[in-house]
Amino acid sequence: MTRDWWKHLVLILGAIIVLAPFYMMVSYSFKSPGEIDRGEGGFFGRQEMMIDPRCVALRQPGRADIEAARARFVGQDDASVQASLLAETEADCSMRPALFNYSKAFTEAPLVRYLLNGVAVTLSIFLIQSVVALPAAYALAKLNFWGRDAVFGLVLFCLLIPVHAIALPLYIGLAKLGLTNTYAALVVPWTISVFGIFLMRQFFMTVPDDLIDAARMDGMSELAIVWRVMLPTAIPALLAFAIFSVVAHWNDYFWPRIVVTGNRDLFTPPLGLREFKGDGDGSFFGPMMATATVIVTPLIVAFLLAQRRFIDGITLSGMK
Amino acid sequence: MVAVDASGATRVTKPKADNRQARTGWMLATPALVLMVLILLVPIILAGVLSFTNYSLGNSGFGWVGLQNYERLFARSTYEKMFVATFTYVVTVVPISVGLGLGAALLVHSLGRIGDIYKTIYFLPVMATLLAMAIAWEFMLHPTIGMVNRTLEMACGTWLEVIPFFAGGCADGFPIWLGDRDYAIWVVCFIGIWQGFGFNMVLFLAGLTSVHRELYHAAEMDGARSGWERFRLVTWPALGPTTVFVVTISCIRAFQVFDTIEAFWPQGGGPNKSAYVMMFAIFEKGIQQNLIGIGSAITMLFLLFVMFLTLIQRWLVERKVHY
Repeated sequence: MTRDWWKHLVLILGAIIVLAPFYMMVSYSFKSPGEIDRGEGGFFGRQEMMIDPRCVALRQPGRADIEAARARFVGQDDASVQASLLAETEADCSMRPALFNYSKAFTEAPLVRYLLNGVAVTLSIFLIQSVVALPAAYALAKLNFWGRDAVFGLVLFCLLIPVHAIALPLYIGLAKLGLTNTYAALVVPWTISVFGIFLMRQFFMTVPDDLIDAARMDGMSELAIVWRVMLPTAIPALLAFAIFSVVAHWNDYFWPRIVVTGNRDLFTPPLGLREFKGDGDGSFFGPMMATATVIVTPLIVAFLLAQRRFIDGITLSGMK
Repeated sequence: MVAVDASGATRVTKPKADNRQARTGWMLATPALVLMVLILLVPIILAGVLSFTNYSLGNSGFGWVGLQNYERLFARSTYEKMFVATFTYVVTVVPISVGLGLGAALLVHSLGRIGDIYKTIYFLPVMATLLAMAIAWEFMLHPTIGMVNRTLEMACGTWLEVIPFFAGGCADGFPIWLGDRDYAIWVVCFIGIWQGFGFNMVLFLAGLTSVHRELYHAAEMDGARSGWERFRLVTWPALGPTTVFVVTISCIRAFQVFDTIEAFWPQGGGPNKSAYVMMFAIFEKGIQQNLIGIGSAITMLFLLFVMFLTLIQRWLVERKVHY
């Protein structure tokens, strides 16, 4: 331990730099605009009551309000009634900065909708990828057919192509089909995962043939073998692939940015955050960081709960 | 008994079974095959063809322009800036993130179980949505209220002022980072390294656990006493295949940098186009400005670079994996 102190020193310095933006993001999501501007208040801020200026501006007491309230403030002139009404509004509109930031994050933009879109898109991509890749992987691993080597060669070639790189022609194709600004556009380019095929094929190669022969003897069709015999044996590999796929697509910004333009109903979480930044003024740092925290948290929490699985899943590509 | 029956049965019906297997094989592989062709191969051909035209979406026809798009890529100063920015990024981020990844892996590995906490921390940026973290970094780098310049200001009035950077910063203010064309691309590089080195570290750790302990003992017997000697003789050669893979995947990821650039400079690609990388150029020219021809030409060059890199990797792996 004493001999290792310099290693800890180096690693702790690295950890501080790695964690700094996370610290700042979460800290700002708790603080009031004033505290952010002046850079004070520690990690949580002082959480003093703050008044939401927009809320007050929206509920400025008008002529009618003053008339209606006259009964409550007997014997006062208009100006003082207005002043007491304003004080009431301000009391209504004040809240703790942390609550303010997070409630703004969800009310200024339909963040829940964005999150649901993210979940829907990510899960559909993974499901379709599996439905397409598993039978193909099984055929490539366990069935003998003419042209199999050619198909596998094509899979190996396609592993060279990063889908982001061919975004432009894909976009043109989707635009010609009238599919831009639809859920389909968000999902379609990712329905084929050559990496998934390759990975599952390598895994299926290790499954003993006896198992398949036994299932055939029982009269199972080949498709049934894929789902009822091969799939259960492949759960660990499939789980790793699921993590790989979900992390990539939840965090993806480039592709949604291209095919979704303006239609907020289709926004995925990163797009929502981007728009928040685009039309935010200086005082909205807090709510924006709250949005960022909400978007980043699910995967980070899942990762902390199941570290080994996540690291295996993300580094899958290293097993090639 | 059953097994004997089974093999007898398959032998008798072999031609028929083969035939059936061939049909189901094709049936199961067809959906994947069709999608592979439609989604991966056709677009490449399409981009190749369109790169020789002046096509734009919405126009009914188009004209062939020959190599004009490619000539522009190599003649105009905008694209020169694009190549400079892209290669600066790749050449900076790849070696540093691989080096830091290896260094972190060696340190973490040597610490045993306690090291796992650092592994967890360093892996966090890999999991986090890059766009969100880019925005967080933008706040950190804010010229007046950002944490980075506030921290640097703390050095003012101390002995650190002898360093020219601090002396200048304390006198005329610290850099405005993202708005300064001398710093912009380096800040983007820094965030690329920040985000990527944990991934490389984890790959190296996987490689390190597969190095046999006996090899170290054997090296020690042969007189390799210092840690450096053991690293040079045992660890580094054993990590060869991992290194080749890590370098390739880092290169491919570095070529694809986009999120940070778009988050910092939605239009323009940085001050004086100093961070105008290829993916951003494809996005700006091809999608936003509807100049499909030039966008396709950049796409083709991009694919060429990436495929070239991967082919080098496969060649290296086949040549020297076997120790």
